[in-house]
Amino acid sequence: MRRSGRCASFVAVVLVAANVAGCATFATSESKLQAVKTVGIISAVGDRVTVAKGGLTGLDNGSRSFPIEPWGLDDLIVQQATAALGGRFQVQPVTYSRSAFATIKDSVFTPANLVRGDPFKQLVRTEVSPQGLDAYIVITKAQAAYGGGHRKVEGVGFITYQTVTESYSQIYALYEIRMIDGKTFDVIDKKAAQPLGNAGNVSLAGPSRPVDGNFPISSGDGNDEGLHRAIVDLITRSLPTTLGDMHLAAVR
Amino acid sequence: MIGVSGASRPDFEGTNHTKFTPVPIFAIRRPGTVDQFRSPRDNASIAIVDFGDFRAGPVGKFVTSRKASRYPELSGLADVNAAFELGGFVEYFPVDWFRVRNETRQGLGGHHGIVSDFSADFIVPVFGGLTVSAGPRFTLETAKAVSPYFSIDTVHAMATGLPVFDAKGGAHSVGVGAQLSYRINPKWEVHSYVEYDRLLGDAAKSPIVTVRGSTNQTTFGVGASYSFDVKVQ
Repeated sequence: MRRSGRCASFVAVVLVAANVAGCATFATSESKLQAVKTVGIISAVGDRVTVAKGGLTGLDNGSRSFPIEPWGLDDLIVQQATAALGGRFQVQPVTYSRSAFATIKDSVFTPANLVRGDPFKQLVRTEVSPQGLDAYIVITKAQAAYGGGHRKVEGVGFITYQTVTESYSQIYALYEIRMIDGKTFDVIDKKAAQPLGNAGNVSLAGPSRPVDGNFPISSGDGNDEGLHRAIVDLITRSLPTTLGDMHLAAVR
Repeated sequence: MIGVSGASRPDFEGTNHTKFTPVPIFAIRRPGTVDQFRSPRDNASIAIVDFGDFRAGPVGKFVTSRKASRYPELSGLADVNAAFELGGFVEYFPVDWFRVRNETRQGLGGHHGIVSDFSADFIVPVFGGLTVSAGPRFTLETAKAVSPYFSIDTVHAMATGLPVFDAKGGAHSVGVGAQLSYRINPKWEVHSYVEYDRLLGDAAKSPIVTVRGSTNQTTFGVGASYSFDVKVQ
């Protein structure tokens, strides 16, 4: 009894501490946001689509990826974000090296990730022009777990997940948004896009949907117009909500 | 991630009595990183090297003290202090549905031996968020890890009426474990598990086990966990 009481106290302390930390952070972010008038938008999400298998894959654990730059997903994201942010900020066009932002990876030596800090801060400082805006909105690929093993999916893709009883096919567009201070290059706020209402039987921690008759998938590669339209649908429905959750745009 | 689980487990290694204990679940990971498969057998660990399918890093385990006065079957034996076991782990997923893992730890405090746990888990998604995992387990221990818990010297033999026994190291236990987990949504998960071990070698031959205990060691557990975001800037 005494042990379970201690356990409950521990959980309560953690929850209160998390709540206080969350409130403090929110207040700090809000006060920094007040000073932001001009923003630039950078998107590096949509250079490749990955087609993978998960779950009971047999011995075939591989995945394939295809270039999808002709889809213009990053241009679409910038366009959508500009529309969503335009009511609050003065959005200015910026030029940047998209590949520099798209190829950032975590080091396999995890302490190195903690030591180097957020790598996108440095890229905003060196790879974006013009400098001097109040803030930069950086939209990049995010990762999410899939299934019960070690499978990670990232960015834009299509996965077929095999269980004992059935097979699920799911498309996803996983991305995260940072708002980086244009003067200090500190991260003012950061948020990963959250799942939509129709995530399907196997949940991903980000926008995804089961493949159905509305968006039939054929080849599953860069020439697949059904896949293209389904990914665009995920992005256009989730982006305003994510920006709204960060208090950057009105929630629709 | 926070949560709570409860486990019915042997009071100490080699006994035939079990007790139910609540265990808090607490884990931290960076935003945007993923939660990996975890077996109830895994001890607290941090991946320093993470290739996705191969991970390695430090691991630690706390082994509670064994007070002879608390258990009639240990009456006359010496207490064993609590031990910390610190070491490293490696794990590898050759395919999505299979993981092998080893933890090798050096004892400090209650024992000063080396413990090496080997496990393999077949991870089978049944449907939706329901996953079943199961596999074999095997543990090696050096004499310094076994002796404090299973040896009986002359003084304690006279006090207990048990024969003198000098426990050596080697194969310590073999077993099997299974886990059922259900991910309700990205935040909530519930799980239950059973782990069975059969003591081997000198641990199984010790009079503490043969006369007053059991070589069969079974743990049952159930739990629930909740994942949430905390921003730290």
